[in-house]
Amino acid sequence: MDFEVINTTTSDELLKAIAANQNSNFRIGAGFTDLINQLKKQNTEELTIINIAQLKDEAYTQIVEEADGLRIGTLATASDIVDNNFIRENYPVLHQAASKLACTQIRNVATLGGNICNVSPSGDMTASLIALKATCHIVDCNGGERAELLSDFIIGLKKTTLKKNEIIKNITIPMNDHHNIISGYEKVGSRKSMEIAIVSLGYHIQMNNDGTITDAGVSCGAVAPTIPFATSACDFLLGKDIQDLTEADKEEFANKVMEYASPISDVRASEWYRKEVLFNLSQTIFS
Amino acid sequence: MEKELKVIGKSHRKLDGKERVSGKAVYGHDIELPNMLHGSILRTAHPCAEIISIDTSKAEALEGVECVITADDDVYDVNNISYKRDHPILKKGTVNCNRDEIAAVAARTKEIADKALQLIEVEYNVKKGIYDPVEALKNEAPQINEFGKGKEQFGNKNMAESFHYEHGNLEEQKAKSKVIVKRTYELPRVTHACMATSNITAEFSPFDGRLTLWSSTQVPFLYQRDIAHALKMEPSKIRIIQPIIGGGFGSKLDMHPFEPICVLLAKKSGKPVQILFSREEEFVLSPTRQPMVIDLTTGCDENGKFTFREVEIIKDNGAYTSWGATTPFVMMQSYSSLYQVPACKFDSHAVYTNNPFAGSFRGYGNPQATFSIETNIDLMAEELGMDQSEIRLINANYKGEVTGQGLHFKTCGAIPALEKVIDESDFEKANAEPKGDRYKKGIGLGSMLHVGGGAKIYRSDGCGTVLKLDDYGYLTIITGSNEIGQGSETVLAMIAMEELGIAEEKIKVINTDTDVKPWDVGVHASRTSFVAGNSLLGAIKLMKEKLNKKAVALLDVVTDDWEYADGKMTFNEFEIKIDKVAREMHFGTPHELCTVNYFYEPPSKFQDKDFKGDVSGNYAFASQAIEVEVDTVTGNVEVLNVHVSQDVGRVLNPIGLQGQMEGGLATGIGYALTEEMIYENGELKNPSFHGYKLLTATDMPPVHFYPIETYDEAGPYGSKGAGEAPLIPTAAAIANAVSNALGVTFYSLPITAEKVLRALKEQKEKNKEVLV
Amino acid sequence: MMQITFKINGESITQEVKPALLLIDLIRDHLKLKGTKPGCLEGECGACSVIVDGEAINSCMYLAINVNGKEVITIEGLGDHENPLDNVQEKMVEHGGVQCGFCTPGMVMTTKAYSDKCKKKGITPTREEVKKSLEGNLCRCTGYAKIIDAAEAVYEN
Repeated sequence: MDFEVINTTTSDELLKAIAANQNSNFRIGAGFTDLINQLKKQNTEELTIINIAQLKDEAYTQIVEEADGLRIGTLATASDIVDNNFIRENYPVLHQAASKLACTQIRNVATLGGNICNVSPSGDMTASLIALKATCHIVDCNGGERAELLSDFIIGLKKTTLKKNEIIKNITIPMNDHHNIISGYEKVGSRKSMEIAIVSLGYHIQMNNDGTITDAGVSCGAVAPTIPFATSACDFLLGKDIQDLTEADKEEFANKVMEYASPISDVRASEWYRKEVLFNLSQTIFS
Repeated sequence: MEKELKVIGKSHRKLDGKERVSGKAVYGHDIELPNMLHGSILRTAHPCAEIISIDTSKAEALEGVECVITADDDVYDVNNISYKRDHPILKKGTVNCNRDEIAAVAARTKEIADKALQLIEVEYNVKKGIYDPVEALKNEAPQINEFGKGKEQFGNKNMAESFHYEHGNLEEQKAKSKVIVKRTYELPRVTHACMATSNITAEFSPFDGRLTLWSSTQVPFLYQRDIAHALKMEPSKIRIIQPIIGGGFGSKLDMHPFEPICVLLAKKSGKPVQILFSREEEFVLSPTRQPMVIDLTTGCDENGKFTFREVEIIKDNGAYTSWGATTPFVMMQSYSSLYQVPACKFDSHAVYTNNPFAGSFRGYGNPQATFSIETNIDLMAEELGMDQSEIRLINANYKGEVTGQGLHFKTCGAIPALEKVIDESDFEKANAEPKGDRYKKGIGLGSMLHVGGGAKIYRSDGCGTVLKLDDYGYLTIITGSNEIGQGSETVLAMIAMEELGIAEEKIKVINTDTDVKPWDVGVHASRTSFVAGNSLLGAIKLMKEKLNKKAVALLDVVTDDWEYADGKMTFNEFEIKIDKVAREMHFGTPHELCTVNYFYEPPSKFQDKDFKGDVSGNYAFASQAIEVEVDTVTGNVEVLNVHVSQDVGRVLNPIGLQGQMEGGLATGIGYALTEEMIYENGELKNPSFHGYKLLTATDMPPVHFYPIETYDEAGPYGSKGAGEAPLIPTAAAIANAVSNALGVTFYSLPITAEKVLRALKEQKEKNKEVLV
Repeated sequence: MMQITFKINGESITQEVKPALLLIDLIRDHLKLKGTKPGCLEGECGACSVIVDGEAINSCMYLAINVNGKEVITIEGLGDHENPLDNVQEKMVEHGGVQCGFCTPGMVMTTKAYSDKCKKKGITPTREEVKKSLEGNLCRCTGYAKIIDAAEAVYEN
C-alpha cells in the first residue's frame, strides 16, 4: 500500500485539492475504515489520497437541527450519530442503523459520507437514510452546488451520480412528529455484532394523531445492487389506519417490498434465504 | 482426600497476568533480533496442478532480497514431514492443495519479501482436483499423494489412515434391540483462529551448527525431534524457546512447513529470519478440525438400555497426513464407552483429497463423535416415548465400570453431572413447555467422556520437573510442561505454595527453553495440570526428604512430620526458616544444593493392537443442558443459558477452571452455530474474521458451572484434566435444543439460520400436505 | 514523507513518516511499543485498539498522519510510577480476564476509553452495555465472561 496524501483542513483547501487532481487518480479519505482494506488489496500505482479526516469546516462536520429537519455533515461519525439525542428520539431508524454498524472502534472513525460513497448494498446508515428520504447536498470544485435525493444519488452497484469534481458536503432529513412514528432498522447477520447485513430493512412510518399513515419510507439492504426505496410498499400504506392493518394487509405489504428484492447468492447467504428473510421481516414491523 | 488445603481450591489470579495485561509479555510477533530478516512464502495459485517451471530470478534481483529458496536449492537437503512422512516441505513437480509452499524469500523488510513473491514466476498445468473423499476412493481416481501407502496398507491408493475397533456381540445386541436409529451426520471444517497468528524466528549458527528457534509450538520436545528429522540434524543441536503463546487449542501440535522453511532461509542467508502469518494466511494455512461424514446406527431395548453402536466414518484427510488422522483414538472411546455400550463396531477411514489437511483441535474428534451419539440418543428416546433425561441416566457410566474397550473408571461423576444439569436447568419442565410464537424456546442435553489423566499415544506421556530452592528461600520450578494461556503455570505455583509454604512472590516457573527444561510430551489431551502437577508433587516429595533430614540435624529432633507454612518448617515447638535449612545444606554439611529432579510417568497403558486398554490416568465426564431461542423470522439461534457440570476430580483453581469452561463453550457454540470454513474446489472463500464468525462478547450467553468433585487418586489432589471437555458436548446439546424448539432434527453443523429457515419451510409444506 | 507532531503516552514527539504508514506500524515498528497487538490488520478483531483523543480506535485502520496534533495512548501509557497498573488492568487480572493475553491490550484500551467516557457522563453502564462496548474485540480463549466481569467491576466504588 503506497500513496501520496494531500491534507486539507478547510473546505477551500479541499475544493482546491479536488480541482488540482482532476487529471490524476485520487480517492478521498475520511475515516479510512473501508478505504484502507480496499487499498491494501488493489495495489494501485500513482494514487493520491485527499485526506479530509482533519477538515474543520462545520458544514461538513456538524449535526444541526434546522426548522424543517436535520442536517448532518458528511464527516459526522457513526458514533456522533449514535450519541445524538435528537436523532435517537426523532429518527430511531438512523440511530439503530448507526449503532448496529461494526463496533465502537470503527464507529468512532467511520463517517456518514464514507458509508454513502462506499455504495455498498449493505451500508447500514445509507439504508436508514434512504428510508428517511434524505437529500444529499453536493458541492463541486468550482463552487457549484446541487441537491439530490439519496435514493436517486445511488444508481447502481458501486455507482453514484457523484462526478469526479464533486463531494458530498452534508445530508438533510425532513422533519417529522416523533410521537407518531414506527421507525426502526432490522439487520440480519449470523451473530449480534461485527456484521455486514445479510439482509436489512429500514422503515420510518409517520402517522397522524388518529393513527392514519401519512408518510412512509421503507428501504431494503443487501438484496439488490442498490438499496431500493420500496415505493409501492410505502404507497400501499398511505391513508391506512395503523391499528386496522390485517394479517392480509401485512402480507400484501411484504409482497410489495419483495418487488424490490433481486438478491444474489454469495458466501454469506443464498438468494433464497435473503428473500425469505426479507419477506418474513417485512411482516413483523407493525407488531 | 480429606486434607485441609490452604491454597488449592481457592481462586488464584494468573501468575504472569500483570505482564500480559500491561503489554509487557513478549509474543513471537514482538521479537526483533539484530540483523533479522523477514520471510515470506509463495503458495500455489491452484490447489491441484503440475508445476512446469519456477523462475525466481526477478525476485532475487529485487533490492533488499537476501535469498530465495525452492525445492531445487542446494540448501534444500531435507526429509518429508508430517505424521505419515508424506509431506514435502517445499513442493516441486506437483501441488496437491491450496496451502502448498513452492518458494520462500528472506528480505530486509516484510514489504520487500512480499513484493519479491509477486516477482516469482510459476508456470502451472492446472488439473481438476478431487475434493470429495468418496470420489477419491473410486478406482478411476488418480493417486493424490505420491508418498501415500494406502494401496499396500489399506487396499486403496487414496486411503491415508484406517482404524477398526470392536467389542461385544453386535448381532446378538441388534436382535435384542426394540429401537434402532440409523442416521448420517456431516461435520464441517472449522479452525482454531488463535488471536496471535502463527510465527517463528530462526537463528542458525554457522560455527557449531546449532539452531535456535523462537517458536509457539505446544509440544517443544516432539517438535525438536520433528525439526531435526526434517532438516537432517541432531535434535540436541536444536534449542526451542517458546515466547508467550497467543493461543494454541491444538493448532501447534504438528510442525508445519513454514517452520523448517524459516530455518532454511536462516541457513542460506546466514542471518536470523522471522516469519509471521497474516490473518489470511492463518486461515488458509493453519490446521482445521476434521471434516467428516459419520454413519451411526444405535439401538436400545424396550427399557431404553443401550444395546449397540455401529459406526462408519469417512474423514477428509486433505492432501497430507497430520496428527489429525489419529483422532479416531479419541472418537472410538466415545463410541465404545460414552454411556454403557454392550457392543460396538467402529470403522474410520481418512481419505486423501486435494483439500487442505486437518490437524488436532481441542476435543480431538470428540465433538464430532459426541454430536452424532447424543443426537441419536434423543431420537431413540423419542421413538421409545422415554424422557431424554431418563434414557441418559439409566445408561450413564458409573464408578468401577470397565468398559468394553478396557477403560477403567475408578471414579466417575457421569451421573451426578447429568443430574445436576437436569435439576439446575429444570430440564423436564423446560423440555415440555410450549415453545412460543416468533421466538421458539428449546432445551437440549449432551454428555461427554474424555481422557482426564493424559493419554498414552506416544512412548512416554510423562513430564520432568527440576526444583531449586536457593539460599534466600526462593523456589524455581523448572517444568517440562508448557503454558499456552490455559493457566497450568499458575496451578504449579499453587501446588508449590500449598506443599512448601513458600509465598507466591518467591516462586518462579521456568518452562520455555528446551536447553534448560526436562522432557515433557507437550500440551494436549487436557494433561498439563495432571501430569505436570503430579511431576511437581513427586519433586516436592524428594525436596522435602532433603529438607526434613537437614532440619532434623539442625534442630536435633527426630521426626518426619514437618509442617511447611509461611516460609518455615515447624514440628511442635521446633521451628526453622526454610531458607536457613537450604543455606545450612549448602554452606554446611553435606555441602549440597537444595535441588532435586523428578520424572513422572502416568500409570496409563499403551493400548493393544485392538485398541483396548486403560489409556488414561483417569477420565473426565461432563453434561451440559443448553437453552436456546430460535427466531423463526430470521432462523437465527440464540443460546440463552448454558448449564455445565463436569467431573473435574477436584477443583484446583476455581477462577482458572471457570475460564476454561467459558472459553471452551464459546468455541463449542461457534462450532454449533456460526463457524465454518467455506471451501469450494479446494479454495477457501472466507479467510478473514469477517467471513469466519467467531462469537463476539454480545453473543456469549451466561454460563452456569457446577463442578463435580470425585477425588480420583491418580490426579494431583484428586483432580482430572479439564481443558478440552467444555466444548465437546456443546454442539450436541445445542442441536438437541433446537430440535426441541422446532420439532426438526439437524444432522449437520453449523446449524445456520439458512438451514433453520429451510427446515421450517419444509415443515410448513408437510403440515399443509397433511391438512390437505 | 510528512512531518507529524503528536503526544504519545504523555510525551510530545515529532516524526517523519510515509503518508501511507498505518498507526499500528508507527507504534510497533517505529516507536517499538510492542504491547499493541496485530491480530488481523483489517479492523475485525480489536487487538490493536489504542486511544486517540479519548476515543478507542483500531490502529490498523488509521493513518499515522492523522494523529498529527492529537493525543495517543497505548497500553504502555496506562498506570504510573506509583500504580503500575491502571484500575482496568487490575480488574482484568483479578477477574481472570486474561488467558493467552493476545487480545488483552485491546480489551483494556477499549474498556479504558469506554469507562472514562461513562465516568465523565456520570453513568454506570448495564452489563448489556458493557458487552456492547466490547463487541469489536475478539477473544478465542475466555468466552468473554471474565472480561465482561472485569469491565463491569471497573465501575464499582
